[in-house]
Amino acid sequence: MDLPLVLTTSMLLTLMTLLTPIIFPLLSDNLKNTPYTITSTVKTSFLISLIPMTIFIHSGTESVVSLWEWKFIMNFKIPISLKMDFYSLTFFPIALFVSWSILQFATWYMASDPYMTKFFTYLLFFLVAMLILIVANNFFILFIGWEGVGIMSFLLISWWHGRAEANTAALQAVLYNRIGDVGLILCMAWLASTINTWEIQQISTPSQTPTLPLLGLILAATGKSAQFGLHPWLPAAMEGPTPVSALLHSSTMVVAGIFLLIRTHPLFNNNQTALTLCLCLGALSTLFAATCALTQNDIKKIIAFSTSSQLGLMMVTIGLNLPQLAFLHISTHAFFKAMLFLCSGSIIHCLNGEQDIRKMGGLQKMLPTTTSCLTIGNLALMGTPFLAGFYSKDQIIECLNTSYLNTWALLLTLLATSFTAVYTIRMTMLVQTGFTRIPPLTPMNENNPAVVAPITRLALGSITAGLIITSFIIPMKTPPMTMPTYIKMTALLVTALGILLALEISKMTQTLILTKQGPFSNFSTSLGYFNPLMHRFAATNLLSGGQNIASHLIDLSWYKKLGPEGLADLQLMATKTSTTFHSGLIKAYLGSFALSILIALMSTY
Amino acid sequence: MSYLHFSFYAAFTLSSLGLAFHRTHLISALLCLESMMLSMYVALTMWPIQMQTPSASILPIIMLTFSACEAGTGLALLVASTRTHGSDHLHNFNLLQC
Repeated sequence: MDLPLVLTTSMLLTLMTLLTPIIFPLLSDNLKNTPYTITSTVKTSFLISLIPMTIFIHSGTESVVSLWEWKFIMNFKIPISLKMDFYSLTFFPIALFVSWSILQFATWYMASDPYMTKFFTYLLFFLVAMLILIVANNFFILFIGWEGVGIMSFLLISWWHGRAEANTAALQAVLYNRIGDVGLILCMAWLASTINTWEIQQISTPSQTPTLPLLGLILAATGKSAQFGLHPWLPAAMEGPTPVSALLHSSTMVVAGIFLLIRTHPLFNNNQTALTLCLCLGALSTLFAATCALTQNDIKKIIAFSTSSQLGLMMVTIGLNLPQLAFLHISTHAFFKAMLFLCSGSIIHCLNGEQDIRKMGGLQKMLPTTTSCLTIGNLALMGTPFLAGFYSKDQIIECLNTSYLNTWALLLTLLATSFTAVYTIRMTMLVQTGFTRIPPLTPMNENNPAVVAPITRLALGSITAGLIITSFIIPMKTPPMTMPTYIKMTALLVTALGILLALEISKMTQTLILTKQGPFSNFSTSLGYFNPLMHRFAATNLLSGGQNIASHLIDLSWYKKLGPEGLADLQLMATKTSTTFHSGLIKAYLGSFALSILIALMSTY
Repeated sequence: MSYLHFSFYAAFTLSSLGLAFHRTHLISALLCLESMMLSMYVALTMWPIQMQTPSASILPIIMLTFSACEAGTGLALLVASTRTHGSDHLHNFNLLQC
C-alpha cells in the first residue's frame, strides 16, 4: 500500500468533493443545489479527510504535490504545489467538522431567508478558498486563497445589504484586510527578487533573515487576524449572520494570518526583532480586546472580542517561536469558539432577534441544551483544566512564564487571561442565570435536531479535542517540564482571580446604584477610542496629503508655477512697471531718448 | 577746451535736453530743435577755420538748407496736429495709447 499516494489522493478527493456543488449545477439542470446537499457534501468531505489524517497519525507520512506549472517567466517557477504536512492534514478535518456543524445549524438559522441556497454557496466558496490557503505550498496559491477568503468575507458580512451598518462593516473588513495584503505582497516581492522562488520549503536563508519581509508578513497577519492597529473590522463583522460569524470570524478566516506565520516560521527563527514584535503586538492585542469585551452588551460582540483576544494569544505564541503550539491553539479554539457562536445564534433566534445581554436572563431553564453547551464553551475558553482550551492555553502560559522574554508582554498576557475569565463569567451570569428580563412572548424552541446536533457535536469536540490532538502529535520543541509550583499554577490562579472578581462585581448590580462613568469604563465601552480616531485622522490625513502632493505640489507648483505660469508672472511684474513708458506720449519717448544718449555717453567713459 | 568749443557744446547739450524734457507745448520742442541747428551751424563754421581746410566751408550752408526744410516740416506737423487736437499741448498726443 503506497501510503503517500493514498494520502495525496484522499486529500485531492476531499477538495474535489467540495467543488462538486459548484460544478454540477453548471453541467445539468437537474442537479440543482439545496442547502441539504451542500451540508451533506461537506459532511462527506469531512469523512474523506479523516483518511489522510489517520495515515499521518499512523505513519507520519507527508507529501508535497506539484501539479501544472504556470510558465510565464522562464526563470521563475510557479507550480500549483500543495503541501500535505502535519498542519494541513490536521486542520482539514477540524475545519470540515466545524463547517459541517455550522452548515447544519444554518439550515435552521437561515430557514426564513429567500436566498438560502446562495448563502450556502457563498459559505462553500469560502470553505474552498480557506482550504486552498491551508494546503498551499507556495505563496501564489496562498495568495489566491487569501484573497478568496477576503472577498467571501466581504460578501457574507454584507449578506443583509439593505442595512447600512452591514455595508460599512463589510467595507471596513475589506479595507483593513487590504492594508494587510500590502504586507503579504511586500514579502512575496522580496522573495521573488531575492530567492527567486515562492515555494515555502525553498525559503531558508543561511544567516539571519532581513527584517523587511518579516515585517511584511507581520503586517499581513495584523490585517487578517485583527491584531491591534488593524483590528476594528472584527467586531464590526458581527453584522453578518451568525453562521458567518461562526465560520469566518472565529475559527477559520481570522486564523489565516496566524497560519501564514506558522507556515513561514523558519524565517522567523533567527530574527529576534521580528519575534519580539510579534510578542508585543500579540500581548497588546489580547489585552486591548479583553478590555473592550468587559463592557460590551451585545452577545456577539463579546464573543468577537474574545476571538480577537485569543488571536492575540496565538500571536504571542508565534512570538515565543512556538508555531506548533499556536497551531494547537488554533485547532482547539475553532471548536469552542464556533460552538459559542452557534449557541449565541440559537439564543438570538429564540429571543426573536434580541442580542443585548441586558435583556436576557434565566435562560438556563428555558434553553437547557444551548446554555449547557454555552457553559462548556466558556469553561473551555477560560482554560478549565482538561477541557480543550486547557491543553493549548495553559501550555502557552507556562511557556511564557518560563521564557526569557519581555516582561511587559508577559504581564499584559496574564492580565488578559484574567479579563477573559471576567467577561466570560459576566456573559454567563447575565445570559443564563438570575431573573429573566426577556419579553413574555418569545418563540423559544430548541427542539430542532438541526440546532441541537451541531452544538452537541461541537461540545463533544470542545471537551475531547485537546486531549485527542495532543495525544497524537509529537511536539517539535520540548515543552517546559519543570517549573516551580506557583508558575505552573499561574494560569489557573489568574483565571480564578478573574472569576472571583466577576462574581464580586456582579453582586453590585443587584444594589440598584447607578454606575459612574469613569475614564476606564469609558475607555472600555468606546473600544479604546480607536475607531473614531483612526477612521477620521487617517482618512483625513491621507486624503489631504494626497491632495497636497498630487494636486498642489506636482500639478500646480511644478508644472505651472515653476514653469509657464511663473515665467508669465515675472514678465507681468516687469511689464506693469514699464507700461508707463509706453503711454503713447511723445514726452516719454523723448525722455527715453535722452536717457539712452546719456547711457551711451557714460559707457564710453 | 577753448571757450568757443565749450559754448557750442553747451548750447547743443542744453538744446537737446530742452528737446527731451519740454513740458507742455510742442512748439518749444521745435524751438529747441532750431537752437540745436544753430549751434551746429556755428560749430560747422568754426571747423574749417580751425582745421585749415577751406574745402569744407560749404557744409554750414548745406546744413542750413536741410534744417530749413526740417523746420518747415516740423511747423507743418504742428499745424496739422493743432488742427486735429485743438492745441499743441503734448498730453493730448496719446493716440498710440490703448
